[in-house]
Amino acid sequence: MVPSVEAFEEALSCWRDLADVLSAGLSRVLLYGPSGTGKTYAALHHGVGNNAAERLVCTEDLTSGEITGTWMPVGENRWEWREGPAIRAWRGLGGLGGRLVVDEVDRASGDALSTLLAMTDSPESARWRNPETSEWVRPGPQFSVVMTTNIDDLDDIPLSLRDRFPVSIRIDRPHVSALTSLSEDLRGPALAGSLGPAGRRVSLRSFYAFDELRRHLGSPRAAQLVFGEDGATGVLDALTIGSIT
Amino acid sequence: MSVVHPELVTGRQDGFVNAPWTVKPGSTRRGEASCNLTERILEVPLGIDATSRVVRAHELMHARVSPHVIDHYGALDEMAHRALECAEELRINTLIARLDFDVSLLCDGSEKGGARRIAESDDWPEALCFLMAVLGTGGEKPFLAGIRQVDPSWMPGLRAVRKRALGLMDSLSSAALGATILNDEELPSGYANSTVVLARILTQSMAARPPTTPDELRSFRRSLEPGGRRPPTGRFARLVFDDTVPMSTRPRGAGLRRPRADSSGLTMRYPSRLLTDERKRAFARRSNLHGGIVIIDQSGSMDIDEASLSTLLRRAPDALVVGYSHRPGDHGSTPNAWILADRGSVVTRIPSGNIGNGVDGAVLEWALRHRKNSEPIVWITDGQVTDSHDHPDDRLTVHCAELVRRHRIRLVKELEGAGRSLTCGRTTSRSQLSQFGRLGRKLLEMKTF
Repeated sequence: MVPSVEAFEEALSCWRDLADVLSAGLSRVLLYGPSGTGKTYAALHHGVGNNAAERLVCTEDLTSGEITGTWMPVGENRWEWREGPAIRAWRGLGGLGGRLVVDEVDRASGDALSTLLAMTDSPESARWRNPETSEWVRPGPQFSVVMTTNIDDLDDIPLSLRDRFPVSIRIDRPHVSALTSLSEDLRGPALAGSLGPAGRRVSLRSFYAFDELRRHLGSPRAAQLVFGEDGATGVLDALTIGSIT
Repeated sequence: MSVVHPELVTGRQDGFVNAPWTVKPGSTRRGEASCNLTERILEVPLGIDATSRVVRAHELMHARVSPHVIDHYGALDEMAHRALECAEELRINTLIARLDFDVSLLCDGSEKGGARRIAESDDWPEALCFLMAVLGTGGEKPFLAGIRQVDPSWMPGLRAVRKRALGLMDSLSSAALGATILNDEELPSGYANSTVVLARILTQSMAARPPTTPDELRSFRRSLEPGGRRPPTGRFARLVFDDTVPMSTRPRGAGLRRPRADSSGLTMRYPSRLLTDERKRAFARRSNLHGGIVIIDQSGSMDIDEASLSTLLRRAPDALVVGYSHRPGDHGSTPNAWILADRGSVVTRIPSGNIGNGVDGAVLEWALRHRKNSEPIVWITDGQVTDSHDHPDDRLTVHCAELVRRHRIRLVKELEGAGRSLTCGRTTSRSQLSQFGRLGRKLLEMKTF
């Protein structure tokens, strides 16, 4: 079943918000909501121009060095300073600044979080000194940061970090353009798959896998492999009932 | 425990907005699973057994095809809510059966006992509705067995409705049955073309008398077909007054002065009464007659005009005049009675009738309740007494005839004769009764009239 116009309209609303914010030149945006809806993809590709976006995936083990840079051995008794993704994004192409994408920001440890705070500070306050050249680096005029998180409640993000991101957009469903490579009958369900609570969410990635597998193995087996023994019946029943045409 | 995915049930084309649902644990027992589309609450059994799965499929199908907007601009006003509810159950069960869900599992063991209780309480409307809710499922056979045990005479009627309902569902493809694109009345087309059609049939059959004789069954079967006449109900409709009819006060005449016999007075006008009247009321006393009650049958066969009403009110300015006519099959949405004049005030526009009679007895009883002292009651009628579906009915005719006889209600054919009848002081003579059709014949059969 092809999603209805209304479904597209609904699906587009959060993405339209993001496009509006980015095209207006706002350089700090926080995207949150269920996983598998394409937040990271959008952060990496929307509004980045010719720059390649720098991506930082936060974990509990993330260190400051992985954000700003680290000394790397380049030969015998020689070390060279390798700038991290945050500084590379500050510089961007020709020093104009690029896009920094901070994934799963809620998982960053205290040390990394304080460095992230410094890197995402306002352009007037943000600066960093290269330990090798002693050069003061500032974010370029086109520098932007998009943070993403899978949490549903913004209160779980440190207040100081949220304060740097005045615009938070909840992305609760995939972008319709992400559905085009799915079979038609799965587009509607895939668009709505992320709406339910955590235990019932079915990500876009799962639909891609199911779609691919069912071509070779048939729907029951594909569902069993992708959604598990317990989940397969529920998903297949819902898809069957939705497919009345 | 199974996971149910209402969010994945998509494809509606009626503007239903996809949003998160709340899932509550229910059970496979009748009435303990539901789908609330307005608040998006799905109550379903979460067991891994096959019955739980079919119950979940049933509720998910509601989420897929049932209407989510309550207000349908009056399109459903005429239908009994229970009829709509149960007709929709049949549509849903038909759809899931076509998707190979095993609907024979939809049976919780309460059907036979429930059917017995329904038949014992003589609840024919509920028997029809419940049959639709279990039709095609595992609950159908025990339900019919329960009915048969208590009142086998209902079986032919139930079978006729069953056949018609299944025929209606079979005539539509799954796509048509489950279509949610809105029609002109803002109803999902699948719902409008199946559930609403069946609910309309059910609503009129619920009001009907259960057919028992071959003739009644034939007429009942015909009523189930498209364009078929509604079956006889054997009862009057509920009286619904139109309170919106505008009234205005009317310049009041003196009414009609007429002499009455009395035991004292100035003029001995009836000397013969000294011999014939045990109270010896030989004197005449003039009194003004102002009132009385006039009941006007405004069904298709009868008509009144303002001039006739004015003439009547000149003779009886304080009369209470009430018109009535029932729309056959209506369940209270269309008023079937209206006050035309109320002790001095009169309508500014005479409402037109609704084709049928339908409330003859009800309006007579209403008039008797509003009668002051022993003021005269005149009934403008053609002598036809019909039930709520506008079928002439012997029992109802006898009922009205008894009211006429017991309360000395005067029968008049035309409104022009009402004023005279109010003031003449005589009831309808036996010789006039032949003008009043079935009612007149019944009255003639009553020896004491």
